[in-house]
Amino acid sequence: MDLVLRGRAAYVCRSCTQRVQQQALQLRRRTFATSAAAQPDIYDVVCVGGGPAGLSLLTALRANPVTSHLRIALVEAQDLAKVRSWKLPPDRFSNRCSSLTPSSVQFLDQIGAWSHLERDRVQAYQEMQVWDGVTGARIEFDWAPGADPAAGTTIAYMNENLNLTSGLLKRLEELGGVSMFGNAKVESISYGEETEEVDLREWPVVHLAGGKQLSARLLVGADGANSPVRSFAGIEARGWDYNRHGVVATVELEGEGWGGDYTKIAYQRFLPTGPVAMLPLPGNYSTLVWSTTPGNASLLKSLSAKDFTAMVNAAFRLSPTDLEYMHKQESGQADEYSWRLEHTPFDSRAVPQTVTGVQEGTVASFPLKLRHADTYIGERVALVGDAAHTIHPLAGQGLNQGQGDVQSLAKTIEYAVSHGQDIGVAMSLEPYVSERYAANHLLLGVCDKLHKLYSVGSGPLVPLRSVGLSAVNALGPLKTFFMNQAAGNGIKVF
Amino acid sequence: MRPSPGPALRHLPRALRGAQPASRAAPMALSTPAAQQHPQAPPRRTLTTTPAALHNPSPSSSSVNETEISHFSALASSWWDPHGPSRPLHLMNPLRHDFIQRCLTSSPIPGHTPSDGLRYLDVGCGGGIFAESAARLPSTVSVTAIDPSPTILTVARAHAKRDPALARTLTYRNETIESLPLPADPAERFDIVSVFEVVEHVDYPAAFLDRVGEFVKPGGWLVLSTIARTWVSWVTTNLVAEDLLGVVPKGTHDWYKYVNERELREYFGQKGGMWGEVKVMGVIFVPGLGWREVRGSEKVGNYFLGVQKAA
Repeated sequence: MDLVLRGRAAYVCRSCTQRVQQQALQLRRRTFATSAAAQPDIYDVVCVGGGPAGLSLLTALRANPVTSHLRIALVEAQDLAKVRSWKLPPDRFSNRCSSLTPSSVQFLDQIGAWSHLERDRVQAYQEMQVWDGVTGARIEFDWAPGADPAAGTTIAYMNENLNLTSGLLKRLEELGGVSMFGNAKVESISYGEETEEVDLREWPVVHLAGGKQLSARLLVGADGANSPVRSFAGIEARGWDYNRHGVVATVELEGEGWGGDYTKIAYQRFLPTGPVAMLPLPGNYSTLVWSTTPGNASLLKSLSAKDFTAMVNAAFRLSPTDLEYMHKQESGQADEYSWRLEHTPFDSRAVPQTVTGVQEGTVASFPLKLRHADTYIGERVALVGDAAHTIHPLAGQGLNQGQGDVQSLAKTIEYAVSHGQDIGVAMSLEPYVSERYAANHLLLGVCDKLHKLYSVGSGPLVPLRSVGLSAVNALGPLKTFFMNQAAGNGIKVF
Repeated sequence: MRPSPGPALRHLPRALRGAQPASRAAPMALSTPAAQQHPQAPPRRTLTTTPAALHNPSPSSSSVNETEISHFSALASSWWDPHGPSRPLHLMNPLRHDFIQRCLTSSPIPGHTPSDGLRYLDVGCGGGIFAESAARLPSTVSVTAIDPSPTILTVARAHAKRDPALARTLTYRNETIESLPLPADPAERFDIVSVFEVVEHVDYPAAFLDRVGEFVKPGGWLVLSTIARTWVSWVTTNLVAEDLLGVVPKGTHDWYKYVNERELREYFGQKGGMWGEVKVMGVIFVPGLGWREVRGSEKVGNYFLGVQKAA
């Protein structure tokens, strides 16, 4: 049997697994009367969390011939079959969208996942308009006249998160070889035991509801901001809550946008309560991300479609004082908006086209916070994505940071495998932390400072920051840096 | 305690001097005014196979030096601590695989196909840093790892138990290269024989390498790593690493036992066509960054050397 397996023998070889399983059988037989405790299945990688980060990591490992022999398990609380078969009509869009930078898309393409997304539901955008709601100072993020169109003028792609996870699952299914545990609840995580043959006292064991146990050479926490894996590893995540909620919705505009179908524009206005962003989806659709106070958020969620639409239009056009007043009304914002709009001068082509409607059931909100784990690794543990860091959404970098983590961790694992290292031990994982930690920390800090700078409605900071924004607009190189950062190219600088 | 060699030794013919246990050259070299006047010319060490019963009062049926064994046995408990005294070795380990790959790519083992897999013999395996990693590679059929220290092998075996994937390929044996039975059929010998950071701890490197070389199968590779005996290596490995920074445990290195790349080239060249072209790779440890390959540094400090046995 060794001859058959030789050369491409699994990292945890089948014979060992069988031996352990045989032991387990014997043990079960022996202890049948007292307990039915199952022995854990041994895996090289157990990933808890089947979101974009977890699925991308497993896809990257399966797609790479160096790491494709690893024994891999995925544990996800949701029904994976439902996610995989996710489908919406072409004129309906999910309210949970993310901006994917060209480098994230390149990575997804490299691991063979990008072609599995519903591509006609993905919208590239080429320009960004960012302005200060108090002073009106503005940065225009468009490409310099001399920019090479062949090099790509796409700043980022707007995409529904479900389109991404569904595409990744399809790719993962095509690659095969991952033990999928969907609808699975992690009851606890403990450490393994020592037997005569093996000493698994440092190996995490994931206990699923129903008694299934998965023993992990490397346990990956892709399990979100409240990561149970992170808690198990005793890694603290520090940071603060912004006392803000992000209100999301899918809205319909009066047209395809001022640039037509070929030049799509993302808009973001900094209001004293937080930034409000309108990001283009295919056709006349856009996705809204409005960071505001919890009180405002619950009002917005309570409004009729007509009043909500009026509030969104007002958010990009009226003064912060008008908006503050309208947030105190329980209803009737539509009438209030049309009256106030007549008395507000603005350049209609410098703001998004008028919103004409909101898709039913898409208005939702979530609390905004900043968190950064003290480290991303422990002995036989690695954290990726939101389990490692949570960022303010104003730069659209959350999901992209996760993709950067995954790309780096997959590379680290590849190096470890090809050099015979145990992929679970902290020493093998060190390059992942040193590559990602500082870069993520910098981006977390920049977005945090931007939020704080623009959350001030009056006082000495206001004139200073408008000078800042205008100055940024005038300073070509700095703007290029910001744009590269927005497109995910800038991260590599650090 | 060995008798201290008298100053008269320096008048001996060079070849005989080289046959002395290298550590004895110490007082001689330092007390020689000539050596002080020519700091660029550290004492030459010719590798001969004569263990020199005439000059060495202890019978030498083994390459093993007892002081060295007890030194490394004392380090056993910290061998696998990634932040302990063996950290530089852990960091160096991936380069060992890179170097072996480079050797195999430059001249593959004749008649060997990837599906055959590789059989390794790791001589002086210590806690098993290299042996475990070689055993984990998908291309490995087996790793036989030997070390004369039973204390260290206890650590090595206990650590290997932590990875169920190793049982398939890895075998530890408490042997010296002299006591390990040599397979009679040359084809049964090893594809890769590795001797990492060992030569500088051996009293008679030539006799040691003679024996080690027999275990390489025709067309297989002997790979080793060691430290050149230069003023730079004295400053870096003895003075800085052991005495000043303490990143390497005190007493790990005896500078007079270091072997230069040229001496090894001469040794392999004198074996009458038994060995092919020598490949070397010099590496330098940069604190905070780890090991980096630096061309030409094999003449200065740590280096890898690989040589293919004639088919």
